[in-house]
Amino acid sequence: MIGSLFAALYRYFAPRRALLFALTLLLLGGGLAGLSQLQVREDIEALLPDDLSQVAADFRRLREAPFARKVLIHLRGSDPASLSDSADRLAAALAPPYFTRVMTGPASLDTARLPEWLAANLPNLLDGDDLNRLAATLTPERIDILVETAYQQLLSPEGWVTKGMVRRDPLDLRAFGLEKLRFVNPIGQARIDDGYFLSADGRGALIVADSPVSLTDSQGAERLLATFDEARTVLPAGVTATLVSGHRHTLANASAIKGDLMRVLSLSSLAVLAIYLFFLRSWQGVFVFLVPSAILLVASGVIALAYDQVFAVTLGFGGVLLGIADEYAMHIYFACRGSGRERAELVGEVAGPVTGGALATLASFAVMLVSSLPGQRQLAIYAMTGIVAALLLSLVVLPHLVRPAPAGGTLRLPLFTGGQRRPRKTIVALWLALLAVSALFVGDLRFDGELRAMSLIPEELRRAEHDLRQAFGDPRGQAMAVVEDTDSETALARNREVFRFLRERLPEAAIVSLAPLLPPAADQRQNAENWRAFWTGEEGRRILAALDAAGARLGFSAQAFAPFHAGLTAPPPAITSDSLRQAGLGPLVDALLVKNGVLTLVPDSAEARELFAGENPARPAGVHFVSPTGFGTEVAAAIQRDFSRYLLLSLLLVSALVVAIFRDRRRILLALVPVVTGLLAMFGIMGGLGIPFNLFNIVATVLVIGLCVDYGIFMVGNGTGAGAGGVDLSVLVSGLTTLAGFGVLVLARHPALHSIGVTVLIGIGAAIPAALLVIPALRGERE
Amino acid sequence: MKYLLPLWLLLFVFLPLAAWAEEDAELERVLAGLKVSAAGIETLASDFTQEKHLEIFRETLVSQGRFYFARPDKLRWETTAPVASGFLLNGSGGKRWHQRAGAPVPFDLGREPGMKLIAEQLLAWARVDLDWLKERYHLTLVGTAPVTLRLVPRQVAAKQYLDYLLIAFDAKGRHVASVEVHEQGGDYTLIRFDAAVLNQPLDPALF
Repeated sequence: MIGSLFAALYRYFAPRRALLFALTLLLLGGGLAGLSQLQVREDIEALLPDDLSQVAADFRRLREAPFARKVLIHLRGSDPASLSDSADRLAAALAPPYFTRVMTGPASLDTARLPEWLAANLPNLLDGDDLNRLAATLTPERIDILVETAYQQLLSPEGWVTKGMVRRDPLDLRAFGLEKLRFVNPIGQARIDDGYFLSADGRGALIVADSPVSLTDSQGAERLLATFDEARTVLPAGVTATLVSGHRHTLANASAIKGDLMRVLSLSSLAVLAIYLFFLRSWQGVFVFLVPSAILLVASGVIALAYDQVFAVTLGFGGVLLGIADEYAMHIYFACRGSGRERAELVGEVAGPVTGGALATLASFAVMLVSSLPGQRQLAIYAMTGIVAALLLSLVVLPHLVRPAPAGGTLRLPLFTGGQRRPRKTIVALWLALLAVSALFVGDLRFDGELRAMSLIPEELRRAEHDLRQAFGDPRGQAMAVVEDTDSETALARNREVFRFLRERLPEAAIVSLAPLLPPAADQRQNAENWRAFWTGEEGRRILAALDAAGARLGFSAQAFAPFHAGLTAPPPAITSDSLRQAGLGPLVDALLVKNGVLTLVPDSAEARELFAGENPARPAGVHFVSPTGFGTEVAAAIQRDFSRYLLLSLLLVSALVVAIFRDRRRILLALVPVVTGLLAMFGIMGGLGIPFNLFNIVATVLVIGLCVDYGIFMVGNGTGAGAGGVDLSVLVSGLTTLAGFGVLVLARHPALHSIGVTVLIGIGAAIPAALLVIPALRGERE
Repeated sequence: MKYLLPLWLLLFVFLPLAAWAEEDAELERVLAGLKVSAAGIETLASDFTQEKHLEIFRETLVSQGRFYFARPDKLRWETTAPVASGFLLNGSGGKRWHQRAGAPVPFDLGREPGMKLIAEQLLAWARVDLDWLKERYHLTLVGTAPVTLRLVPRQVAAKQYLDYLLIAFDAKGRHVASVEVHEQGGDYTLIRFDAAVLNQPLDPALF
C-alpha cells in the first residue's frame, strides 16, 4: 500500500517536475525563513526535568539556594592587613549593573549594633531552657566576678565604649544571645576579622556579591566577567582575585558548545562528502548529499518556529541527523542507479522497507516525547521532523533526479556483493562471542546523574573552586531543609522544628538557620511572658539582689544599672524579618527566607542525608531535604527509570513494526539482529570500560535502536528482492556516514556531546557488521 | 544707609573669617612644630594617673599605673592600683588581664571592634600621629604653652561615645602629657602622664 502510494506520487509528478521542484524549494525556503527566527539557548535547563516530579522540584529549590546565585570572589595574599584593604578596593570597583550588594564581611558584626540588638531582644529570644541555664549560671560568686569585671573594664580605656553596655547588661546576658549567632554564619570556615571574611590562615579574603545577571545568560556572564577583570586591576601587586559563580560555568559551557557546533557541523559535512565521493562516484551523488543538508534546514526551521528558544544541544544533534538522514536517500540512489526498470515500480518496491525503517526510527524518537526533560522533547520533535523530511525528499523528489548508471558505473564491494564465499561459521561464532563477552559486562553499567559531570569545567575554574573550598568550606555545596507554607507563622514554626530536629541529631554540624533569631510570634510571646515571670519570681529577685549588693560594694551608684532593670519588665516589640534586617542581618534573612518558605542550611553529609531518607517518624512534617549529592542520586534514579521506560517502549514499538512488516518469525528475528547486537555491545563495552549513562547518551541509545532496526529492515527486505541489489552498499555507506557524524561528536569538547559520540560509535559500530555480515550468514546465503 | 550694608558685611562676615583663617594658620604652625619635635620618639615609658568622673559611680575613680609604647604598634597599659589589670597590644593581637581572672587572655583586634577603637586612639596619642587625628577629629588649638588641642570626632560611631578630647603636650611638644576624654552625657576621664622616659630600651617581654 505504501509502495503504491509512492509509485502513484512518482507517476503524478513525472510530467510535472517543475511543480515538484518548486514545492521542494518552497519547503526549503520555509525552513530558511524559520531559521532566521532561531534563538539559541545554551543552558543546562534543556536537560533537567520541568515536570512536577520530585527531581524537578528539588532542582528548582537548588536553584533558589542562597549561594547558588551568589558571586564569590576569593582574594589571596600573604598579608591580612593588605587583604582587607584590597577587598575594600575591589568591592568599591564592583559596581552595578553587573554587581549589586557587594559584601566583604558580615556587615552587621563590625559594629556594636548586633550585640546591642541581641541584649535588647533577649526577652523574645530566650526560651525556658535558656532561662533555666541562666539561673544556674548566675550564682552569687559568678555575679561578683561579672560586676568586678565590669568595674575593671570601666577603669580601663575600654570603658569608654563599654559603659553603655555595662549599664544595660551588667550580667552579660547577651552571651546567651550571642550563642544564637553561631547559627547565622553561612560561611562556616570563615573567620570574621575586623568585619572581613578571612580564611583560617589569614591569607585569603572573601567577597560575596549579588548580580542581576541570570545564571543561564551566557552573554551577560561574559560581560560580568569582563567587568570583574577590569575591576581587579585595582588590586596591588601580590594580591590575586578569582571569581567563582555559576556564570563562569555557563560561559565555559556556552563557549564549548558554540565551538563544538561549528566543528561538528563542518567536519561531519566534510566527512560525509568524502564518503559519498568514494562510494557514489557520480555527480548525481550530490543529490544524496543534499538531502541531509536540506532536512537540517527544514528541521531547524520548524523547531525555530515551534519554540521561542532552541537549546544548543538540540542543534548540536544536527550533525548526527546529517549522518542518519541519508540512509533513505542512499537506498533510493543505489536502487535507481543499479536498475533500469520502470521508475515508479522501482520506487514502489523500495518504499516499503524505507518507510518501515523510517517508521522504526520515528517510533524510537517518539518515545522521547514523553520525557520530562524539555531538551529531550525538543530533540524528539527536531529528529522526527528531519526524518519525515528525509523520507519525503528521498521517496518523492530523489527518484526524479537520479538516473540509472551505465554498466560498471556503481561501486561493487566483493565482500558484500557475494562475489566470494562468506566464512559463515566464523562470522556467527565471532558474533556470538561478542554477544557473550558483552553480556558479561552489562551488569557493570552505571548511571551518572551528577550535574557537574554533564558540564564542561575548565581546569582553571576547577582549581579556583577547589581553592575556595579549601579556604572557606563549601557554601555553595550545602544541603537545604526547606519548609514551605503560605502562612509565614506556620512556616517559621516548622522551621523551628527542623532546627531542633537537626540540632539534636547533628550537634556538631555547622547548621545555618533563622530559627534561633526569628522564632514564630507565638513563641516570642511565650518567651517574653516567661522572661517577665522569671525576673519577678524568686530566682530573678535573688539575682537582682546579688547584683545590687555586688555593685554597692564596688562603689556603683544606685542608678548604675537602671537601664538593665527597666529592660526586664518592658519587653521589646516582637522580632520580625524587618527588624532583623535593621539589626544588620539583611543578607542572611534574604538568603534563608524564600517565597512561601524558610531554608535551613546543613552540611551535605551522609548523616544529614540519612536523617531525611525513607520514613522517619521523628522528622518534622512538611520538610523537603535537598542535597546536591542526593540530587545527583535522584537524577541518576530518574535517568535509570527513564532509560528502562525508553528501552522497553522503543523495543516494543520497533518490534511491533518489524512484525507488521515481515510477518514471519525467522525474518523478524533476523531483522532484530543489528539492534540486539548494537545494544548489547553498547551496554557491555560501556559497562566494561566504566563509561556511565547520563542524560545525554540515553538519547543516543534511542537513536541506536532506530538506526539499527533500519539496517535490519533493509537487509532482510533485500532478501525478498525489494529494492534490488545495492542494499548492502546503501547500508554500509549510510552506516559509515552515521559513524562519521558521530565520530565527529567524539571530538566535541563538551562532555555531553562527547558522551553521545562515544556511545553511538560503539552501538552503530557493532550494528553495521551485524547487519552486513551476520544477517546474511544466519540467513544462509550462498551466491 | 547704603554704606551700612558693606559695614555689616565687614563686621559679621569678613572679620570672623579673617580671625578663623588666622587661627587655622596658627594651628597648622603648631601641628607642624609638634610633628618635628615628636618625630624621633621610638619608645616611651611613663606613669599615669587616671581620674574617672562617671555618673554610675558614687565617687571619682582614681587609678594609677604604667604606660609603655614602642613604635610602630606596641603598647602596654597596666593599672596597678586599686586593682591589677591591663592589656598589651602587639600589632593586631594582644592580651588582657584582670586581678581575679588569672592568666592573661589573648585577643584579636579584628574581632573586637571596641578594643580596636581604643587601641587606635592610644597609639595615635603615643605616636603623636597628627595626620591620623586630623582625619578623624576636628582639631582646635586651645593653648600653646603647653600646646593643648581640642578634638571633636567627625565620625558618627565615635560621636556615640565621645563628646570631645582635650590633649595637652609636654613643654617640648615631644609627647602627650595629659588627656581629657569627655563623653556624651557629661562623664569625663582625666589621664596624666608623669615621669615620662623617652627612647630608652624597653624589655621585649613587656609586649
